[in-house]
Formats: sequence, structure tokens, C-alpha cells
Amino acid sequence: MNPIRAIGAGFLQISQTVGGITMQMLQIFRAMIPPRFDRDETWLNLYKVGVKSYPIVAMTAIFTGAIMVIQSGTYVKRTGATGLLGWGAGYAVLAEIGPVLIGLMFSGRVGANNTAELGTMKVTEQIDALRALAIDPIHHLVVPRFVSMVLMLLLLTALGDLFALAGGALTSQFILDVDYRVFFQGVFESHLVDEYLVGLVKGTSFGASISVVSCYYGLGVSGGAAGVGRAVNNCVVTSAIGIFVWDYFITYFANSTSLLH
Amino acid sequence: MSEHHGTERELGEVVLRVTGLVKWFGEVCVFDGLDFEMRANEIVGLIGPGGVGKSVFVKLCCGLMAPDAGRIELLGQDLAQTTEQEKQALRERVGLVFQNYALFDFMTVGDNVAFPMRQRGGFSDEQVAAKVQERLAEVDLPKVRHLMPGELSGGMKKRVGLARANINDPELIFFDDPTAGLDPVTSSKIFNLIRKTQEQRNSTCLVISHDIDRMRAACDRYVLLYAARVHFAGTAEQALASRDSIVHEFFQRDKEVHS
Repeated sequence: MNPIRAIGAGFLQISQTVGGITMQMLQIFRAMIPPRFDRDETWLNLYKVGVKSYPIVAMTAIFTGAIMVIQSGTYVKRTGATGLLGWGAGYAVLAEIGPVLIGLMFSGRVGANNTAELGTMKVTEQIDALRALAIDPIHHLVVPRFVSMVLMLLLLTALGDLFALAGGALTSQFILDVDYRVFFQGVFESHLVDEYLVGLVKGTSFGASISVVSCYYGLGVSGGAAGVGRAVNNCVVTSAIGIFVWDYFITYFANSTSLLH
Repeated sequence: MSEHHGTERELGEVVLRVTGLVKWFGEVCVFDGLDFEMRANEIVGLIGPGGVGKSVFVKLCCGLMAPDAGRIELLGQDLAQTTEQEKQALRERVGLVFQNYALFDFMTVGDNVAFPMRQRGGFSDEQVAAKVQERLAEVDLPKVRHLMPGELSGGMKKRVGLARANINDPELIFFDDPTAGLDPVTSSKIFNLIRKTQEQRNSTCLVISHDIDRMRAACDRYVLLYAARVHFAGTAEQALASRDSIVHEFFQRDKEVHS
């Protein structure tokens, strides 16, 4: 294939995806004014998205905190600066690694599932059936998913951060022989509230990004089971890219406005 | 009128009028200036070779797809001139039974049938439950309410789809191949149900099927789609008397197969 043609085709493909995702987002916002929620569908999604993701997020967070402590442990032991252990692990986990890894786990578990579910509904004409029954799929299916994912990823990030600190404290106590009180003292004395809040902003943004991307790919499925597979794959890849792009901009904004020290 | 019908039904105003319909999929022209009309209280059989666009036609008429050109007037409203909200209001007056059932697989049968009524609002749980039971009894499935769609046979799913499409007493119902893949006995039952439903509620029905012989138990007249246009429109008797080779092939062959 002509390289210029290939570059042009790639550019068009990216433009189409970005445009489609933007349109999907606008449709969701439009459907939320005035705020109207399908109560049953929203409760169901809050449960599916939040409660069912809680164990996997807790597990991810505990190990993330533990890894951060092990990574910094070598230098802390060498220099004897055990007081820095809590600060190092806390800073990295709360502002950066925690929200990103929880977001990636969430996109793999919830985003992929959402795309597969909506995609299957699309290929089995259930979306058309909703429209034929005078029910707007955006109102009935997409808005509850958007609200649930945003809210639940915020809560999961808030909880996950605490689990990550607990994982760090346990590793500090049992692997590095640094008392857990010293670890927590390092966390609290570092005043990491801003990092914690920035992490929560990231979690909320990732939730919005994953929900819009997963609904866009789910509702755009064509071509039967193979199409559903392709859409799930695209959803996971695009969600991961979205997480890093959002992460970059929020980190840049937080640092440039001196929110993070 | 079909010979199977005891009385001539009084036809009302035009409920669906399609003029100059054009629809392309890529480089394939599905409809090229198609004209079609249906009046209140009639049951029309829509027939044609596979892939001619019968299901597409139904989706266009329901506003689930947009035509490339032409005008579709559904229940007196031009679909091209209606907003999405107005289309939704129109769809509340229309029922659609899908070829592949399109039952919501995450809901029980009872919830599937109740869904349009609950979404419409204004009914108590008891009223919804009573109407769901009534509609399921009408399609001879009084005891499947708590089952999931995956636990039903193809014929049962079709009948649940019929109950769901009927729950809000629509004025116009589209049946997209309601007997596809069903045995002859079940097919006959479905066509009898369509006829019974029409008689009870004075609704208007458009039925897509390939089973022309059994369709005669339900349909007043037939429309044959062929080569992107309406090739024939008339009663079964007119079709059987036709000297047109395509019409003859469709109606006579089916008759010969069943005899």
C-alpha cells in the first residue's frame, strides 16, 4: 500500500473514532439534561460495576502498594531513611500508580464487559427492539452505565488508595522490618491530601472515559460474534490510551497550578 | 379478500403510505422508487425473495433506519419531518415482532412482556401483572412468565415476542417473518394468532413470510417485492389468476409444495 495513502487512512480512522466518541459523549450529556435516570437499570449497574469490581480492585491496590514499598525499600534500607518509605509509596500510589492501575483493571473488567453486553444486544437486534418499543437506548442503557462507572470508579479509587496504603504498610512491617506506624507516620506527615484528591479526579475522569468509549464501541458493533470480539478489543485498547491521555493532562494541570508539590 | 375470511372487513384510512422510497447499502440498491400503501384494519402479507429488503422495509417504516430518498407516512405523520421524540411517540402506537425474537435476554419472559407497559408508565404493578398474564394466555403460554428467554423454544419465543408487541394495544403491528424456522403446526398457530389479534383489537398488520400458503389464513392481500420495487399487490385470488411469471412462480409453486 502507498505509504501516504496508509497514513491518510490511519488519520481518517483516528478522526472517525475521536469524532464518534465525542458525539457519544455529547449524546450522553444531552440525555442527562434534565436529569432523568432509569432507576432500576442504574441500581443494577451500580451493583454490577461497583460491588462486583471491589474484590479485584482491592487485590490490585494491595499489591500496588506492596510493590511500591519493595521498590523503594532497597534505598530506604541502604540510607536508613525509613521515614521516607511512607512518603514515597504514598505519593506514588495516591497521585499516580493507584488511579492508573485501578483504571486499567476497571477498563479490562467493566469496560470490556459493557462493550460485549451492548454489542451482543446490537447484533441480536435488542437495541432495535428498544427503539421499536419507543425507548431511547441512550436514556435506558447508556446513561445508567455512564453514571455508574463515573461514580463507582471514584469510590473504587478512594477505597483502592486505602487498600494500597494497607498493602504498603503490611509489606513494610513483614518484608522490610520497618514498623507500620513509621510507614503511616511518613504518609500522614507528608500531607498527601492534594495527591489523594488529584488521584480521585483522575479516577472520575477515567470512569467517564471508559464508559463513553465502551458504550461507543458496544453500540457500534456490526458483523455478529466476530464484530463483538473486535469491539471489545478496540474498547480495551482505546480505554487504556484514554487513561494515559487523561492522566497526562490532569498531572500536567495539577503540577502547573502547583496543586502537587 | 381471501376466501378464508367470512366477512369483508371495512378498511379505514391509510395508516402507512410509502412513496418513491429509495435505499442504498453501499453500491447495492435495495429500493428504487418503491410505492406502498396500507389501510386501517387490513392484514397485508409482504413477500419476496430472500435478500430483497423486506426486513429493511419494516425498519424504514418504523423509523429505525432512514431512507436515502422518498417519503414514509406512518399513522399520518411524515417520518422525515418528525423529531426523535415525535418518532418515539409514534412508535408507542406501533408494534414490531422481530425475525430473531429480539427478546431481552437479561429479563424474564414476564418482564420482557411487561417492559413496554412499565416504560410507558401510569400503571400499577397489579395492572401490569394482570395484562402480562392476559397477553401470555392469549399466545397460549400462561406458565412461562418466570422463565428466561433462553429456556424457551423458537416457537415460544416468537409467541412471547407477539405478546410483547401487543401489550400496549398498538394500532399497527409489523411481523418480521414470524414463522421462520418453525414447524408447520406452530406456523399455522402463529398465523391464526395474528388473525385473532387483529380481529380482537382492530389493529392493522403487515406480515413478512415465505410461507404463502399458511399466510392465507391471516392475510387480506399480498405485496410482492421484487427487483427493488413492488412487483405485485393484490389478493391471493388475483395472484393465482395472474399470468406474470414471477407472481405465478411465488404463488403457484408454494401451492404445489403444500398440496
